[in-house]
Amino acid sequence: MASLSQLTASARRLALVGLAKNTGKTVALATLLEELGAAGRRVGVTSVGRDGEQHDVIDARIDKPLVKLGAGAIVATTDGLLRASGIPHELLARTGARTPLGEVLIARMKGPGAIEVAGPSTASEVAQAAEAMLSFGAEQVLIDGAIDRRAASSPDVSDALLMSTGAVLGDELGEVVARTVDAVALVRLPTVPSDTAAGRRLHELAAAHRLEPRSLLVGAGVERDPSVLPPRFVLSAQATEIGSLVSQHPDADTLLVAGALPEAFVRDLALAARRGQRELTVVVADPTRAFLSERGPEHYRRQGVAIETLRPVDLRALTVNPLAPRSHSFDSVEMRALLGQAIPGLPVFDVLHPDYGAAQQRPGPDRAAADS
Amino acid sequence: MPREVDLSSVQPYADHLGDGLVQMSFTLPVPYSLAARKAALELATAMGFEQPEVVHYESLTDGYTYFVMYGRCVASVDFASLQDEGFDIEYMSEDEIERFVEHQLGRRIVVVGASTGSDTHSVGIDAMLNLKGYHGHHGLEGYHSFETYNLGSQVPNSVLLSKAIEVGADAILVSQTVTQQNLHVQNLTELVEMVEAEGRRGQMILACGGPRVSNELAKELGYDAGFSKGTYPHHLATFIVRELAARMSGDRVSAAG
Repeated sequence: MASLSQLTASARRLALVGLAKNTGKTVALATLLEELGAAGRRVGVTSVGRDGEQHDVIDARIDKPLVKLGAGAIVATTDGLLRASGIPHELLARTGARTPLGEVLIARMKGPGAIEVAGPSTASEVAQAAEAMLSFGAEQVLIDGAIDRRAASSPDVSDALLMSTGAVLGDELGEVVARTVDAVALVRLPTVPSDTAAGRRLHELAAAHRLEPRSLLVGAGVERDPSVLPPRFVLSAQATEIGSLVSQHPDADTLLVAGALPEAFVRDLALAARRGQRELTVVVADPTRAFLSERGPEHYRRQGVAIETLRPVDLRALTVNPLAPRSHSFDSVEMRALLGQAIPGLPVFDVLHPDYGAAQQRPGPDRAAADS
Repeated sequence: MPREVDLSSVQPYADHLGDGLVQMSFTLPVPYSLAARKAALELATAMGFEQPEVVHYESLTDGYTYFVMYGRCVASVDFASLQDEGFDIEYMSEDEIERFVEHQLGRRIVVVGASTGSDTHSVGIDAMLNLKGYHGHHGLEGYHSFETYNLGSQVPNSVLLSKAIEVGADAILVSQTVTQQNLHVQNLTELVEMVEAEGRRGQMILACGGPRVSNELAKELGYDAGFSKGTYPHHLATFIVRELAARMSGDRVSAAG
């Protein structure tokens, strides 16, 4: 089996996203850094939150793994944290990105050491910091998430995604698997095809409205003009307004959403679709725009509302933490087996389990074979 | 003459500098007895206190004993280096804020606030936004230079964001009781992600407040600042107007709040 770093090697900007706190995201980051360091790859690292802090910010009883970087690594973190690390470094750029912990700088490590990483928080600033690190010679930039924040996995910011899940999601293994399945389904929303007339039209409409984003209701007939929804309709419309919108447009089959898609809207739209015996497709710009925390996309598809995306997120692998800090734990092998069955085609790792290390420490030929 | 404090090695103070004396109180789930008193002394020793003393103990209810203790703390902290980290900002008074907005920003500042999700506590947001404020400090509603919208409690993130877009908010203020079990953390991150999804993150200052909210937590959550106990409306206002001025000029100013 290929290692985490091999599976993600082709992504110049890799986002790491956890489904909650303490799902082992930073452990996955540490594993990647170790593997990339051993392979002699120049990495750039940033975090939308904080990484490498000694204790958890909410529960101080939870110890956190440190972020260890080798000489030559590039990092985006705050002035104070750079100094506190005590690692000799070369300042490459000031980003101007302000965070509650100070301004973010970009620096090259002149020696190895452990450092707390707190880079820019906003998606556009993260994208800029990643570009800057690549331009300073990083071969791959790792963008660590925070808590359950997903914005850095948007195709505007990163090229591929590594997702982390863990026992902390539920007391029962079945619940953890179900919630992970929903989260993966959300990331892997079907992409609107660009090789059909209807699909091409949606891509064109979205591009045409990029500067002045408004949500559009699109009918089956390709020639007919779409209806422009009132501002903020998707964010705050009541169920009755959604119901009348649907009934007033009997030919409409697709809703192109300009910004965020809240779950309340999807729920009310599903209600309207069922009443009118309609089937509707809701299209978002990318999976980070859809906010489903109660049910997965499959639930709403069965209710008559399919959710699709204009641009996909390239999910490469899933890491699991079978341990919920100070609570319960599951059997790692069983957990991975169940997740593997429920989510076909997605490699699942527990990087702290002995079998991960064993698979990666086989002599040369195996690793070479996995590379190819 | 008082001795000078060594800021690189600061210890608790009671009667004289460097005595390290700490007063603490806690409850043990054991019946009121001499054995309970002994248990409290052993526990304090295990916490690292020297010369622990029980100055008061009493029965709380059957099987529970409450203690007040003294102990000598031998640890110290390097305050001098923390001062250099720039955690503190100088807060402006209400009048200074009004003048700053008039001269530096030249327009009224729009702030929308709410307690979001299932949180029913509106005390924090009311103290910051409503005219009456608290402890004799006006809320932002009482400032000429601020236009405020307090949406109350149990507000869905999408509704809060919709209002903020509608009124062209410069800042969104969220009040939330963060619990050890992380109950409300997901709700706080969802707002940040929704603002991103709407493409508005660069245009809006996001601040969160609550009893357990620190700048460290705010950073993880993706907010521009976090405010905890002891925050007055003019603290919040100082941060908002300075941050807006910095964004307008493109200057680089630390956002320590």
